[in-house]
Amino acid sequence: MTVLDEKPPTPAPPRMRATAAVRGRTARLVLLLAVLALLAAAPYIATVTTVLTLQEVAALAVFAVAANLLIGQSGLVSFGQAVFFGLGSYTVTLGWEHAGLSFWEGFALAPFLGAAAAAVVGLVALRARTLYFALITLAFSQLFYQLVEQDTGFTGGADGVFAPVVPAWMENPVDGYLTLLGIAVAALAVLRWIQGSNFGLLLRAARENRARVQALGTNVYRLHLLAFTISGAFCALAGAMFVVYNQGSNAELFDWTTSGQPVLMSVIGGMYSFSGPIVGAFVYQFGHDWLVRYVADWQLVLGAVLLLVVLLRPDGLVGAVSKPIRRRRAAEAGTSDEPGEASGD
Amino acid sequence: MTEPLLQIRGLVRDFDGFRAVDGVDLDVAPGTIHSVIGPNGAGKSTLFALITGEVRPTAGTVVFAGTDLTGRVPHAVTRAGLAKAFQTTNIFPRLTVRESVAAAVLAREGYGRLLGARSRRRIDRDVIELCDTVGLAGQADRVGRELSHGDQRALEIALALATGPRLLLLDEPTAGMSPFETRRVVEQITGLARERGLTVLFSEHDMDTVFGISDEVTVMHQGRVLAHGPAVEVRANREVMSVYLGSEA
Repeated sequence: MTVLDEKPPTPAPPRMRATAAVRGRTARLVLLLAVLALLAAAPYIATVTTVLTLQEVAALAVFAVAANLLIGQSGLVSFGQAVFFGLGSYTVTLGWEHAGLSFWEGFALAPFLGAAAAAVVGLVALRARTLYFALITLAFSQLFYQLVEQDTGFTGGADGVFAPVVPAWMENPVDGYLTLLGIAVAALAVLRWIQGSNFGLLLRAARENRARVQALGTNVYRLHLLAFTISGAFCALAGAMFVVYNQGSNAELFDWTTSGQPVLMSVIGGMYSFSGPIVGAFVYQFGHDWLVRYVADWQLVLGAVLLLVVLLRPDGLVGAVSKPIRRRRAAEAGTSDEPGEASGD
Repeated sequence: MTEPLLQIRGLVRDFDGFRAVDGVDLDVAPGTIHSVIGPNGAGKSTLFALITGEVRPTAGTVVFAGTDLTGRVPHAVTRAGLAKAFQTTNIFPRLTVRESVAAAVLAREGYGRLLGARSRRRIDRDVIELCDTVGLAGQADRVGRELSHGDQRALEIALALATGPRLLLLDEPTAGMSPFETRRVVEQITGLARERGLTVLFSEHDMDTVFGISDEVTVMHQGRVLAHGPAVEVRANREVMSVYLGSEA
């Protein structure tokens, strides 16, 4: 049957495979709805502190998934996504302060400015590969940080801009949170669609084997530039969302430590799945809030956790949970024990 | 003789003072199966890399179907209708067979206007057909790195075919295979080529493999063309024999 192999292929019984796939999809849908219901109900069952952390997580989850479009999906480890996150935040606050834009006007503008900035940065950074790419993006991050921090007149310098930008009705933590939750769900749905699209498939293929995709007829530089631009747009959107929690913008948003956050979240949660960075955002943020209360050197614990994840579960927490499930399902269906990752979410 | 599909003139490539390909001329007629043979290190793989644009020539020209492709980047060469299956298996380790072939079809089609579901169905049809052609239909949901060596080679060829080439370059497609496997593979590739009206250029270091199935044979030795012509004539050439059997001729 096979051109190059004598061993006859062993297709699984089609009915069993279909039911396993359907069962998997149903289980995922139920899980998704349960998590969404829980998140929507959170303001009525959790403390105000938790709701505020959830505000932060909503913005950071979008940030992490947008950054992971590059990190995990494309294999482009950017240490400069804070440029676009900060830009999104400052678009809202500076637009309010200097151009008289309302919160929502600035909010709508942020992704476009983020995309434009990313197209320019990407044009330069994508000329380099691997470590050099990471270093160039890091340099851009620090460049923006210095620019914003030093120019005290326009940007407010290191103090940033803290003003009543956010509409009054969103000042209430619960309303602010529910609004951010809605935006996050919509943004993540779009990102999920992009990842599942033909474009997303080509990104993964180029991550696996860049030269081969090139040889198959695709200009990988342009492919990556588009991914970088899309990621920049969503990072900026996340930055604009962050204003609701932060009540303003400060220079630290551009710092390389901010760029590092989505990288850490993606690694902890699992960068080869869609939900990995979201789980990472939850674990990182709640872990941080909990740790700082009890441990002075919380970074020490973070470092240890990261080491453990990288050494034991390179595919992150989501991989640790989903792989055994898939393996069992695959064993039942009699197919490969390691299906492609595209189905994973 | 008809106008050649691929026309190579005076192709040279230097690597730090070492001349890997030294003034090669080569014509490949449309619809033929043409083999480039020669011992390891003769410059066959470099020649192929020069044709596909992976390596830039130091001098010389590559003309394909009337278009000058000299020094063009690989994706432009592929779009012109020239695809290569690699010597070392060059696939996507973490993607399934289905995803890999779909990526190859997309790479040809361009991804920009193909976000919609309708085109997705058309791509799926192409993917299933290609998997069938190379006999990977039963393996469609397995990831590349889990496949047997033979199946990986089959996937490699499916990827090359997915770009819809007029000329298929096969760089030692049987590397690492037993003589029995080799014969099967070569027969199946040539069958595929005749069925699809493809022109095939392939390289091989074992001459017994190629003489039976090739229309034309070019022999390379130390970066140069030593002999070329119809398979029967080349086989009878004493100089060629000496390259393979030692220097007693």
